[in-house]
Amino acid sequence: MSVHLLDRELDRLEGLWSDGLSETYRSYLDAVDHFDPELRAKLALAAALIESGIRLQGVGGRAAPPTTLLMGDLCLARGSRLLADNAPLPVQVAFARAIEATSAAAAAEQAPPALRQLLRKSLTATL
Amino acid sequence: MSHRLEFATAHATEFVDITDRVREEVRRAGLRNGRVHLQSLHTTLGLAVNENEPLLLRDFEGLLDRIAPAGAAYEHDDFARRFDVPIDEPANGHAHCRQLLLSAFATLMVEDGELVLGRWQSLFAVELDGPRRRQLALQLDGEFARGIEKESLQALVELELARQLMVDPEPVASPMRRLVEAGGKRLRPRLVQLTAGIGPHNDALRAAELAAAVELLHNATLIHDDYVDESTHRRGRPTVAAAEGPERAIAVGDYYFAKATRLIAQIGNPGVTSALAEALEAVCASQIDDVAMRGSYPGDRDSYMQVIRGKTASLFAAACESGALLSGATPQVVEALRRFGELLGTAFQMADDMVDFSPSSGKPVGLDIRQRVLSLPLIYAAEDRVVGPEVRRLLAGSLGDAEVGRVAELVISSEALPRVRQEAQGLVDAAVRELEAVELDGLQPVLVGLARSAVDRNS
Repeated sequence: MSVHLLDRELDRLEGLWSDGLSETYRSYLDAVDHFDPELRAKLALAAALIESGIRLQGVGGRAAPPTTLLMGDLCLARGSRLLADNAPLPVQVAFARAIEATSAAAAAEQAPPALRQLLRKSLTATL
Repeated sequence: MSHRLEFATAHATEFVDITDRVREEVRRAGLRNGRVHLQSLHTTLGLAVNENEPLLLRDFEGLLDRIAPAGAAYEHDDFARRFDVPIDEPANGHAHCRQLLLSAFATLMVEDGELVLGRWQSLFAVELDGPRRRQLALQLDGEFARGIEKESLQALVELELARQLMVDPEPVASPMRRLVEAGGKRLRPRLVQLTAGIGPHNDALRAAELAAAVELLHNATLIHDDYVDESTHRRGRPTVAAAEGPERAIAVGDYYFAKATRLIAQIGNPGVTSALAEALEAVCASQIDDVAMRGSYPGDRDSYMQVIRGKTASLFAAACESGALLSGATPQVVEALRRFGELLGTAFQMADDMVDFSPSSGKPVGLDIRQRVLSLPLIYAAEDRVVGPEVRRLLAGSLGDAEVGRVAELVISSEALPRVRQEAQGLVDAAVRELEAVELDGLQPVLVGLARSAVDRNS
């Protein structure tokens, strides 16, 4: 799985990639084994972007400053677009529900669910 | 469009005047020109067009009784000679024979939304073996007037928004409900609904679901924008960030971003999902550009156009594209509508910029200046030979009430506002031309009207 396949998807996020996104991406690679080989990198990146986006925004903790929030928004939007273009519907739905659960917990000032675990589970969602 | 008319009869023979009910079906469906087809679903119920005059109806009843008397012998009533006779089979040979003299079908023409009937004509379902519960199949075909359904379409979106918010946890639903209930123009959902009526798969409920999801997505981006711009009010009410703090605002925005993308995905049209996902990404990327450009405020026209294409026009374009895709419109129509939406969205943003300089808008004049929000009138005023130097000097310093007021005065006194207005109208003209190249099944005037009104406003 080659990272250069993802170059287009890292536009504007190069700094984040070298600042931890690449490690987050690698942590999802073993969770996408069951997908077609050409989809694996994109789906692992989608999961990594969503995890990084939520963390950048400070969901469940102290609010991120505006420019960081916007970078987090871009991560979430790009992750969602990657899912829309490459993931089966149940996986798209599971990812959205994972974000809903995390943000609803934050809004209620409750302990958030374990995000990475939730997103890894989302990658196995079926109908 | 097809469904069933149901009614009950009270007598053995009865002429049920169904003219008004069929008229109501035509009105509800918005059929302007075409036909209504009716078919009896029973072998002892006929259809007839004649005069609703009680003595005449008694004459008809007498005629039927003379031709096929109820007390006569009918082979159909000799149950010993028939097979598979139900235990409750009535002796009704006379009713079947009478029905043969009538018709089981009727087709009425519709012109200008009205049933075509002569002065004395009424439409009857003729009960021949009552009392019973009866059903008629009804189909309408022809040209449907979509414009007159506007209120119904809007009501569907409002209901769908309320339904979605009802099932969400209160900490996120409550702030979003306040924002949704505060109003807004609902242009994006309206575009989804209109364009979803263009192709062969015109399903108003699915279109309303998609339209509501698009509106939730738009509102989610507004909640984050308001935090970024440090806005205290939107639609006349405190912003989520101002009322409940930035942490809650970020969580609510994320929740509805995710929920909207899920609702869109669950509609089950991959083209729709991709179109809106791309638009959302463009919105987010341009927000970063927007904030970055505030360092060189007010910026230039090229940068401005780049930002608003992503920030505003992309979601307008995707709203039109996704509605058309949902309806199964042809690729040519989908592309024409996408371009229409993009041009309209750009024009809309320019018109929105002008509102900042309108004392009758209900918003404080110069709010965009105070928040250093990208604004085309301000860019043009800064380029103006007469007022430009003072505008640039004021914008380079800190912006208190006096400075903001003076900048607004300079913009209003310059040629900036007429120039922006002319440019927005030119974009609407270009958007309208996109519609002229394709067949839109009578929808073109509605879209043109919406486009013109979206940029011709004072508030």
